[in-house]
Amino acid sequence: MKNLRWILPCLALVLFAPGCILTSGQFTLDFDLPDVTATSATGIVGEQIDLNDESDYKDHKDNVKDISDFAVLGTFHNTGLTDVDIEVYMTRDLTTLTDAATIRSTGIKLWGPFQVPAGGTKTIDWDASAALFTAAGKAAVLQEAKGDGNFTLYAVGSAGTYQFDVENGKLVLVIDVGI
Amino acid sequence: MMRTVALAVLALALAAGVASAAPVGVGVGAFGGLSYPILQDDVGNGSVYGLRVPVRLLPMITVEPYWLTGKMDDATETIGGVEYTRDGFDNKGFGANAILGRVGGAGFHFYPFGGIGSHKLTRAGTPEIKETAYNFGLGFGISPTPKVSLQIRGEVNMIKTGDTSRKFGNATVGLNYDLLP
Repeated sequence: MKNLRWILPCLALVLFAPGCILTSGQFTLDFDLPDVTATSATGIVGEQIDLNDESDYKDHKDNVKDISDFAVLGTFHNTGLTDVDIEVYMTRDLTTLTDAATIRSTGIKLWGPFQVPAGGTKTIDWDASAALFTAAGKAAVLQEAKGDGNFTLYAVGSAGTYQFDVENGKLVLVIDVGI
Repeated sequence: MMRTVALAVLALALAAGVASAAPVGVGVGAFGGLSYPILQDDVGNGSVYGLRVPVRLLPMITVEPYWLTGKMDDATETIGGVEYTRDGFDNKGFGANAILGRVGGAGFHFYPFGGIGSHKLTRAGTPEIKETAYNFGLGFGISPTPKVSLQIRGEVNMIKTGDTSRKFGNATVGLNYDLLP
């Protein structure tokens, strides 16, 4: 039993040391996205995101370890004449691009595709949206979360001629942080 | 790798103990209870239940293989006035705990324990997490009869996810039946 006098404090020290897997948590950040209308191929509007707007992020930004969940939420109206596969791209800086080809060539595909039939309206839920998060997008968002926290999102159609609206859009991130 | 080695060591200790120790105590138990996410915004409360096989190797040392399954409730978040839900995790796992003391037998027992296992977390829209889990907690055993005891435990179940972890606080009640001696 004498050994316990040393073993238990040492164990506690290891478990509770800063950055240890025990002293960590998952925090949800959400951002309102403005209602937008996207029209191929040059009528795209981006939304600039600053993670520093969220207090949970500011409190833990030096200890962000991973992005454990991500979702784009909202209602999508396809006002065009053909089905559209909606994708979300990001640029690592604050940008104001309007051209879909430039966004695809310089940005990183973050999310999608989410298909909305011609003339249709679809609201996506959190579970379905989380499945559309790309590995490259996760890596890029994580780098931004560990960096200055600023990036820009663009919703575009994957191909062809399209026009769609996004209403009540939200961006949700769940960050893994050490405490 | 670490998980495999640790489980192998526990299995060897168990086998060696069974082979060499004279009066080995073996029991079997079932348990169920509540599971609470710790520092996880995206998971709701849930339930957990499973089986345990406590094997007393020495008077003060018990090794206890376990299997458990849990279902966490959906998390509900109101974002911009709209309520969204996120699927809760299914938590399935097995492993072994080392208990300082004995679980069964007559009387009242109080024991700390810690252990290691392999757990799998699954939820809609997310790749499964299959990782090493660490457990630690405290238990009480109350035995109204020589063979049967009531087990009440509080534990933290911590599943490693890279540099962080998903942690669950489990409060369980179970029944243990002593097969040997």
